[in-house]
Amino acid sequence: MSIADRIRRNPLYSLKMHAAAIATGLRYLFAKPRMTVRYPEYVIDLGRNYRGMIRLHKDKCISCSLCAQVCPASAMKMYKLPGEKKMYPGINYQRCIFCGFCVDICPVNALEHTPVHDIAEEDMEGMIYLPLPGRFDREWKSPAEEEGGRKVKVEFDEEEGLKHEPE
Amino acid sequence: MLGPLDPLINFILEPYFFSPFIYPGLTIGLVVLLTLIWAERKMAAKVQLRYGPLYVSKQIGGALQMIADALRFFFQEPIIPRQVDKIVFLATPALALTVTVLPFIFIPAAPSYVGVAVSYSLPLVLALGALIPVVIILMAWGANNKFTLVGGIREAFMTVGYEVALFISAFAAALYYKTLDLSVMVEKQASLGLPGIIINPIAGFVFFVAMLMASSKLPFDIVEGEQEIVAGPFTEYSGILYGLVMGASYLYLYVLMLVFVEMFLSGWLPVIHGLGSIYPALGGVMLFVKTYILLLFAVFLRGVYGRYRLDQALSLGWRRLVPLSLIAALWSFGLLIAGV
Amino acid sequence: MTSQGSRSSETDMGYGPGTIKEPGFRYRPMGRDAEGMELYEIFIGPQHPASGHMRIVVRLDGDIIVNADPDIGYVHRTMEKLSETREYLKSIPLFERATIIDSANITWPYVRAVEQMLGVEAPLRAKYLRTLLAEINRISSHLYGFGLTGIFINHSTMYMWSFGDREIWVQLAEELTGARLTHTYIIPGGVRRDLPQGFKEKALKAIRYMERRLEDYMKIFVYNPVTVARFREVGVLTKNDASRLGIVGPNLRASGVHYDARIAEKYGAYPELDFEIPVMEEGDSLARLLVRIEEIKQSMRIIKQVLDKMPQGPFFADKYMRLIPPALRKHVAETGRIKLPGAFIRLKPPAGEAVARGEMGHGEVFYHIVSTGDTKPYRVRIITPAFRNVVLFRHLTRGARFMDLPVIYGSIDYFPPEGDR
Repeated sequence: MSIADRIRRNPLYSLKMHAAAIATGLRYLFAKPRMTVRYPEYVIDLGRNYRGMIRLHKDKCISCSLCAQVCPASAMKMYKLPGEKKMYPGINYQRCIFCGFCVDICPVNALEHTPVHDIAEEDMEGMIYLPLPGRFDREWKSPAEEEGGRKVKVEFDEEEGLKHEPE
Repeated sequence: MLGPLDPLINFILEPYFFSPFIYPGLTIGLVVLLTLIWAERKMAAKVQLRYGPLYVSKQIGGALQMIADALRFFFQEPIIPRQVDKIVFLATPALALTVTVLPFIFIPAAPSYVGVAVSYSLPLVLALGALIPVVIILMAWGANNKFTLVGGIREAFMTVGYEVALFISAFAAALYYKTLDLSVMVEKQASLGLPGIIINPIAGFVFFVAMLMASSKLPFDIVEGEQEIVAGPFTEYSGILYGLVMGASYLYLYVLMLVFVEMFLSGWLPVIHGLGSIYPALGGVMLFVKTYILLLFAVFLRGVYGRYRLDQALSLGWRRLVPLSLIAALWSFGLLIAGV
Repeated sequence: MTSQGSRSSETDMGYGPGTIKEPGFRYRPMGRDAEGMELYEIFIGPQHPASGHMRIVVRLDGDIIVNADPDIGYVHRTMEKLSETREYLKSIPLFERATIIDSANITWPYVRAVEQMLGVEAPLRAKYLRTLLAEINRISSHLYGFGLTGIFINHSTMYMWSFGDREIWVQLAEELTGARLTHTYIIPGGVRRDLPQGFKEKALKAIRYMERRLEDYMKIFVYNPVTVARFREVGVLTKNDASRLGIVGPNLRASGVHYDARIAEKYGAYPELDFEIPVMEEGDSLARLLVRIEEIKQSMRIIKQVLDKMPQGPFFADKYMRLIPPALRKHVAETGRIKLPGAFIRLKPPAGEAVARGEMGHGEVFYHIVSTGDTKPYRVRIITPAFRNVVLFRHLTRGARFMDLPVIYGSIDYFPPEGDR
């Protein structure tokens, strides 16, 4: 007879399983670990593998426009800005899905991911990053970290699953 | 030497005022309500490896969260849908709360310290509690919504399910004490030197489970059944009206828990005998501590259980709890016959 | 619970005249069935605490469900049509969004179908890496379903636990692919990133942690008497009905049918791995839960084997690697990240058709691609497991109690965006 049927047929066994459930609950009530990362105070270090906000190295760019062509969401477009001879990519974060195809296809590694994703803009226009100085080529930093959040590193742990240790 | 405030203080400390309005009545009831919901959320969060309410008053673990919530309830617009019966819709939340707090008049807080001393305090308290489902069903009907109607029917079913077991188990314990007065019951336990739960454990167990059903706490929160019927009879309520109906179930749990502690855990008597003689008010504190610990356990079950199905809860009530409570009555009877 | 006799009235119970609509389209609580019996009608969703992105029209006779109609399509995004307007590569991120919690598994058969047409085969290491991510995704998909099942009976601890523990697998997937959910990892010709340093130790720690946690799951949820009471003998799907209705995935296996696309199709690294397909005979909601638990264990077993057997070699097909300049090829070898050739944007399979299927967490997904030799497909047909399983709402709920509806919903692990595509 399966455990489930024993629970249904045998009231004493059912009481035992009630007790087991309550005991498990109580064990966790007095156990230490918590899963929550209290975000603005602690910021998870996403590591350099993370596909976050995209950054342009304009000096490397050869204006091949492959990034704009491969973009599945049409977020990346080529812009010719006044006073410049060549076209450079700009990105629209209203559309970007962070698939990273543009980074992968760039033949000169002019685009790269940054391990930052918690960015908010005040208006829709602010989400369009043109190849201007301080815009698409900017060095990203998590706003939570800028305002004093402590960076935590994610570590795998047999006891607690994920551990978040401050660096 | 009488100070100018002394008559007032004397009046407040008179049992007929203090007991229903201060302790164990309204004021402490409100404190219990606010802290208990907070504790419930914190404990469930701890079991679930989270923090729970935190950012309102971070230094004390978010203890002021419930005050913030209560304030929000006050300032939220109570929406009165067009299809409701307006008078019933507006009156029932207040009525539900009133019926819930009325038993405080009859619950003794300490030896001979009770709002209205009657020798039938146990049936009075239970009878007043039994009025709550009537109000809830009225509320469900008045709100005139499909989900509230189902919720009202569930409330009616549940009442049938737990009420019988609750009453029989209470009377089974009372049978041995040969009284229906809660104060006398505590005195009996004092003279026996044993808490009622040891004298009649089955009655205690049945009363506890029936109490969870009565106050729709998990695993019996069938009436609110969020996953099927949104919020049951309370679906249409918002703002302070919802705050009232939500608070009522916790207050009812508090009321029943006070009765449970007085009937089965020797009420205000300290765990170690003779401690009460040091300072008489300690009795009230003891009663409160015992009640609160048990309340914490009752709400902790939220972290362990899901919800029973309606028919399963009913069959638990009728097939398990009612026979068990009858056995408890026989047990008491047997003890009386045996003269233990 | 389902009564055999009432099946003949399956078609009568729809929106026939006199069933629910009054003049002026005002809905009354009472509807009437074909025999003129009064029924209580409840609309669950789309604005409801437990409906998901769908609506279920429930007709009750007392507490018994006479008929429950799933009303799907609230998150239909025309994925099949959209894929006709974009190049083959660009459809991968699109299809991921059908089942965002299981994105590797839903795109893998698509990629395999495209590979068939292109005549490319992924290198062995890429196949192992694909299998690795697919199994990580399967575990997180099952945990997601588990959490929802928990909250469907108001067991908030199960909900929080499984969503919390899912985070570990999401984190593992992130270390491998760089994205938490929309990995876009499996592309024609291979995968996009090589196995990172120290991944094996992390995965083994996660597995050991999860094995321990599953025991607690059993204690607090699965073998909690309340859960057993709610799930046992509720929503029983017989073996016969399961195959007749075309049910797929764990729901099929919980009814005693030994079928899994991983075995049937022999794709990826699965033929070389040793694992079992858990099958249960009961076919009730609890069996569906237990099969998923067992599948999580088997997936962890697969992950261990994949990490042990991981072959050396390239992770991207040589055919495309040759197209990129040598400097970039060196870069790929150093960083373990793919560099796509420019020609990759406009993959041009010859005219023809290809089909592929794969096993997702929810069941079998099937792709049929028709190409006219253009850079965009002429037609892509996707049959998702959720769409196959949605019929269970009707089938299993008949004769069940009203409170069983969330249990059945949770146990069949229906995922509306996947069903709607």
